[in-house]
Amino acid sequence: MNQKKTLKENPEILLRAENLYYTYEGEDSPALNGLSLTIKRGKKIACMGSNGSGKTTFFLCCNGIHRPDSGTLYYNGKPFGYAKKELLSLRQKVGIVFQDPDRQLFAASVKQEISFGPLNLGCSEEETRRKVSAVLKELDITPCSHKPTYALSGGQKKLVSIADILIMEPEILILDEPAAALDPFYTETVYKIIDRITEQGITVMMATHDVNHAYLWADEILLFHEGRQLKQGTPDELFSDELLLKKTHLAQPMLLTIFHHLQSEGMISKKLRAPKNIEELKSYLSQHKDS
Amino acid sequence: MIMSDKLCYYSKLRYVNATEKFLFSVLTLTACILSRSIIIAFLVLAVTGILTVYKGKIPLSRYIKLMTVPIVFLFLGTLAIFVNVSETPLDAFAFPIGSYYITGSVQGLFHGIQLICTALASTSCLYFLSLNTPVTDILNVLRKLHVPALILELMLLIYRYIFVIIHLASDITVSQNSRLGNIRPSTAKKSFAAMVSSVFILSVRRSGELYDALEARCYNGTLQVLSEDYPVKISEILSIAAFEILLYLAVIVIRVSGGTL
Ligand SMILES: Nc1ncnc2c1ncn2[C@@H]1O[C@H](COP(=O)(O)OP(=O)(O)O)[C@@H](O)[C@H]1O
Ligand SMILES: [Mg+2]
Repeated sequence: MNQKKTLKENPEILLRAENLYYTYEGEDSPALNGLSLTIKRGKKIACMGSNGSGKTTFFLCCNGIHRPDSGTLYYNGKPFGYAKKELLSLRQKVGIVFQDPDRQLFAASVKQEISFGPLNLGCSEEETRRKVSAVLKELDITPCSHKPTYALSGGQKKLVSIADILIMEPEILILDEPAAALDPFYTETVYKIIDRITEQGITVMMATHDVNHAYLWADEILLFHEGRQLKQGTPDELFSDELLLKKTHLAQPMLLTIFHHLQSEGMISKKLRAPKNIEELKSYLSQHKDS
Repeated sequence: MIMSDKLCYYSKLRYVNATEKFLFSVLTLTACILSRSIIIAFLVLAVTGILTVYKGKIPLSRYIKLMTVPIVFLFLGTLAIFVNVSETPLDAFAFPIGSYYITGSVQGLFHGIQLICTALASTSCLYFLSLNTPVTDILNVLRKLHVPALILELMLLIYRYIFVIIHLASDITVSQNSRLGNIRPSTAKKSFAAMVSSVFILSVRRSGELYDALEARCYNGTLQVLSEDYPVKISEILSIAAFEILLYLAVIVIRVSGGTL
């Protein structure tokens, strides 16, 4: 009880899930099986875990599309309400970019597609127009804004699906495997956009299978396993735990493997903490050479 | 379908106000149907053809190819009008078969030709609209004309999902072909059946997922989207008005004079 109270009052926590259970209609085994986790404001969070571990299902619970069979979600310390009005304000704050743009984009033209959200939120036509051109400019997709949606490339569709959500000014942006099926150029573009979004103070949660990117990018990693959270922690904490990696079929990020190898070979000091990026590892090596 | 949809995005007439184009094509179409005149039909064919090919810069070869699609249908359809089976031979031609004749009258022949010309001209009006105007713009015009929102939303979704479903179907077909699914007529039949049923199942699932995605963006029962419109140009309005007035005058003259052409 006491602990609950302190959690509720902790202003750092944006979203909290407590003991969620969810089973899809007609399925035997639950997709969420007692999931509990906390998401802190302003952080970059990577959700990892094998296919079918419940990431997408959890995301759809975060904005009230799925209502857990039992368990509670809290947004800003308040439990989710499922009345129409509460859902609307929740969905404005919690934006989800779906994995497959073809399952998200419904409109025939790009501008119409992006205008859907703000019009639903009651913006005037003029305001919507302004917002649409602003977001098109921000994501650098103005040139394809006059094209029909189906004629866009996969990468452009992804950017449009991000614009769809960004225009609603969410407090937390959830991206479901944003790099799936993208070429390296668009993967990089999407990652850069995500970085800019984070700089604006928006909390970003992303499902990904790319361990190297998750290691470099995330402040925190949530590890899903069979509908539950196996572990929540910083990237080096999580990726240094080899048993855990084996259990969840995750590879160790290249950078960390090299770092551990250099340590065990005595090339760098055992006391150093895991490098955040390649530059840090390089500086370790040059320090070692100097000493 | 996909080809004609792509073409309109490259048309030089795309940014002409959609209501103007809509009015032009509907009024001209009505004139064709009201007059049933071969002269009017040729006039309309020429005008819409010139507008689409020279003004809209739609490639002539594409345009001709598209026009041949209805021609085949029209010939087959009108065949029934001027070919009769009867016991008495008619004036145009007659082939005896037993005690019957396969025969046709001059008037029937003329009637058929008239019908083909009128129908072709009417099709060219609709081609003018659809080759120079994106579907979304046409939907906006219909919205202004107070067509019920439900019908417009259905049209929008059908239009968008035609492409998704064609894509699904072609992906499945390619994957079947690459595993020799069409090597014999019997397997081809089976593959086709499997393709159709899985496209059906996939599209049902897609519609569920689409609904989730719409809800995630605060969908409230109506698909509100921005309408894009381009300014009305007085010069265009005047030329459309002039053309239509002349056209309808011609229609009236032909009707009143009782001319058969
Ligand atoms: N629409 C659905 N209907 C039935 N079962 C589903 C549906 N979506 C997901 N599942 C099941 O729920 C479980 C969790 O899936 P999901 O949340 O999509 O995992 P992830 O996103 O981590 O790959 C899986 O076992 C999956 O088969
Ligand atoms: Mg998923």
